Amino acid sequence: MRRLSVLCCLPVVPAIAFVIALAATQYGYTQTTETASVLSGPERALIKSFGPWPVPVPQDPGNELSGLPWAEQLGEKLFADTDLSGSRRLACISCHLPDKGFADGLSVAVGAGTHVRNTQGLYNAGLQRWFGWDGGADSLWAASLRPLLSELEMAASIDELAGNLRNKNYINVALAQYGDTSALSGEEFVVLLAKAIASYTRTIVSPQTEFDTFRAALLAGDVQALEKYSASALRGLKIFFGSANCHVCHFGANFSNGEFHDVGRPFFTGVGRVDPGRHSGIKRVKGDRYNLAGEFNGVVEPRELRKTQTVKLTQSNFGQWRTPSLRNLTLTAPYMHDGSLATLKDVVDYYSDIDPARLHSQGESILKPLNLDEQSRDDLVRFLETLSP
Amino acid sequence: MRNLYQLTGICLVAASMVSSPAGADATLPIADAHVHYSHDSVELTPPERVIELMRSAGLKFALVSSSDDNGTQLLSELAPDLIIPGLRPYRRRGEIGTWFEDDAALAYVEKLLAENSYATIGEFHLFGSSADLPIPTRIVELAAEHNLILHAHSDADAVERLLAQNDQVKVLWAHSGFDQPEVISAMLSKHDRLWADLAFRSEPGSGGTVSPEWMKLFTEHPDRMMLGTDTYTPERMYYLPEHAESARVWLDTLPADLAERIAWKNAHDLLMPVWQANQSKASMATTATVAQQSCEPASGSAAHKISDSPVIYLEPSDAIAVSEQFTAVVTVCGSELSDSAFKLDATMPSHGHGMNYSPQHTVLAQSDDMMKVQVDGLVLHMPGDWQWQVELNNGDERNTYSHTFSVQ
Repeated sequence: MRRLSVLCCLPVVPAIAFVIALAATQYGYTQTTETASVLSGPERALIKSFGPWPVPVPQDPGNELSGLPWAEQLGEKLFADTDLSGSRRLACISCHLPDKGFADGLSVAVGAGTHVRNTQGLYNAGLQRWFGWDGGADSLWAASLRPLLSELEMAASIDELAGNLRNKNYINVALAQYGDTSALSGEEFVVLLAKAIASYTRTIVSPQTEFDTFRAALLAGDVQALEKYSASALRGLKIFFGSANCHVCHFGANFSNGEFHDVGRPFFTGVGRVDPGRHSGIKRVKGDRYNLAGEFNGVVEPRELRKTQTVKLTQSNFGQWRTPSLRNLTLTAPYMHDGSLATLKDVVDYYSDIDPARLHSQGESILKPLNLDEQSRDDLVRFLETLSP
Repeated sequence: MRNLYQLTGICLVAASMVSSPAGADATLPIADAHVHYSHDSVELTPPERVIELMRSAGLKFALVSSSDDNGTQLLSELAPDLIIPGLRPYRRRGEIGTWFEDDAALAYVEKLLAENSYATIGEFHLFGSSADLPIPTRIVELAAEHNLILHAHSDADAVERLLAQNDQVKVLWAHSGFDQPEVISAMLSKHDRLWADLAFRSEPGSGGTVSPEWMKLFTEHPDRMMLGTDTYTPERMYYLPEHAESARVWLDTLPADLAERIAWKNAHDLLMPVWQANQSKASMATTATVAQQSCEPASGSAAHKISDSPVIYLEPSDAIAVSEQFTAVVTVCGSELSDSAFKLDATMPSHGHGMNYSPQHTVLAQSDDMMKVQVDGLVLHMPGDWQWQVELNNGDERNTYSHTFSVQ
């Protein structure tokens, strides 16, 4: 009965079994079920490209410690060390709480000061091309260093950090594997520790989800596993991959294309003040002494460096934000770059009722009001929930 | 004697298993940073067999330099994925002690640098103050000019003289100078542009274990040491698999990350960026030669036909995937192209935007009737219909051409 109602609600329902089977064969699947049959061949092919999960995490560019177990272990300890802040009261983990998807549950980050941006969760951070809402860092290690030195976050200086950390036993024991660090300048030493932190954060990978199980079952023709995916989530999935076009930017296994878009959200941060987002991020990364073109790059790879050399600064970057991954959303509320939407329902409502006037002429014309009914909105939320563990 | 043959047979079987795809993941890859395939070796062992030996050894790649260079080129052509070429200043055996005062040796090096691409100059033999003679000095200049690493079979004195001549040049110290671990460590601490290979050094893993002295060196400099066989005689080519296997035995006693670094990562990190950069030039040169002969895409149906008149086609380096960086080579065949400026862009008309990057253009070849341009750093960051935009600008005349294609 439940399945019948699913079929009734969906706009595309292949009626003849052999047509379904034919489409399935064409796209490489050998078995169909009633549940799966509501998906067309192209939809199945599209869903296939959103997995499998997890995907291999590339090495952190320019980070000679990336992938070294001892550095990952050191990084995990540093992540929880309050000596990485100017006040010696804040650690990375103060705002990146594991039980909140390594975010903090607040609208905007509160460290040494109050930030204007939402704290991003760190799950699967190693899969990104750019780091931070504005992409102001081109490596995970540069992104790890940035909050340490930010006046709004951990508010430490290089000298303070070097002074606080040089003589800590656990650090020196671990760094014995690296070699003699006594000749390193304070800045080189701190950068090395930031690389260790990045080595750790690169390993923070979220587990499989209901969606991953569904996708695998769909590909394998596993009838019993397919039945476990709720009708509501399946309807939401079809909206996500269909009329709503969500998948265009939230593309691939991590549900992010890693690039930047203006989705019409306001970006005033107070009277007469704006947060320019990607526009300031590009300027920042180009001028950052810790970028991949700089002297601290420990593993120079022309391919990795190219993004920093060739990224364009355009007017349309103003008010763009990095496409966030949609994995683990149930852990990381509130949402958007400024945490201005409290729930997933709020997010779906925003996109469904989006104001085209907020999208300037160069904006993404894929964004348009969807005018979803309440059931469809709930279905889309339910689908998004299946992307979390 | 019969037992020895039997043992050898077992070793070869084991080595063959190493190369099988099923077992490859379970085997520590090895980079061999010290292989020669010189003229007498070429006569005795065909290049196909050398590649077979390397693959059976489970080599990830090998730095090969030969006297003369022909052997290196033969292997490169046969297995470009496996061979990183180095350029020896020797045209034949027996020039070890004379090359640094031989103008013909320098001319030989300069000629080959103009013809081919390499990652290193070496392995050459050079000791003490000889490093400051005019020809070695010129070799250092050439290394800097051509982005090459010096592979020096030298004493510490000569290594320091080489490094002092140019503040950019890097040295791979062949055989670690046959010095003691503490001397090697001191040199590596003193010079951050120095790496060292362990070719023909049995001490580090003697008896399948690593002595405290060598362990100290490895842990002090985990990112600077690498392996090498040194196939300095034709026979030693057949030692490649056994060398790799014996190295795996003592590497297995090290922490896994350190073992991996010495086994291949250090060589990779030192040599691969240089080789990739220099190989790109080689690719350009090769493509240019081909282009002069034909205006047909080498990739056949994978090419994007942008225009029929002039003929413009684009060949992506890999299958185009959403938001993945790739390179493309665009060929234009027409007339009056010698003064034309070329530009490639990509847009998504239905979305009202293009790429987020300005791709890098490199003219590979240009004549009156043909031009070939390599475009690096292309990223099509959304699925859907994209459009290539080619602009040809010849003084006052500006022409644009477009081609729509789908990315999924």
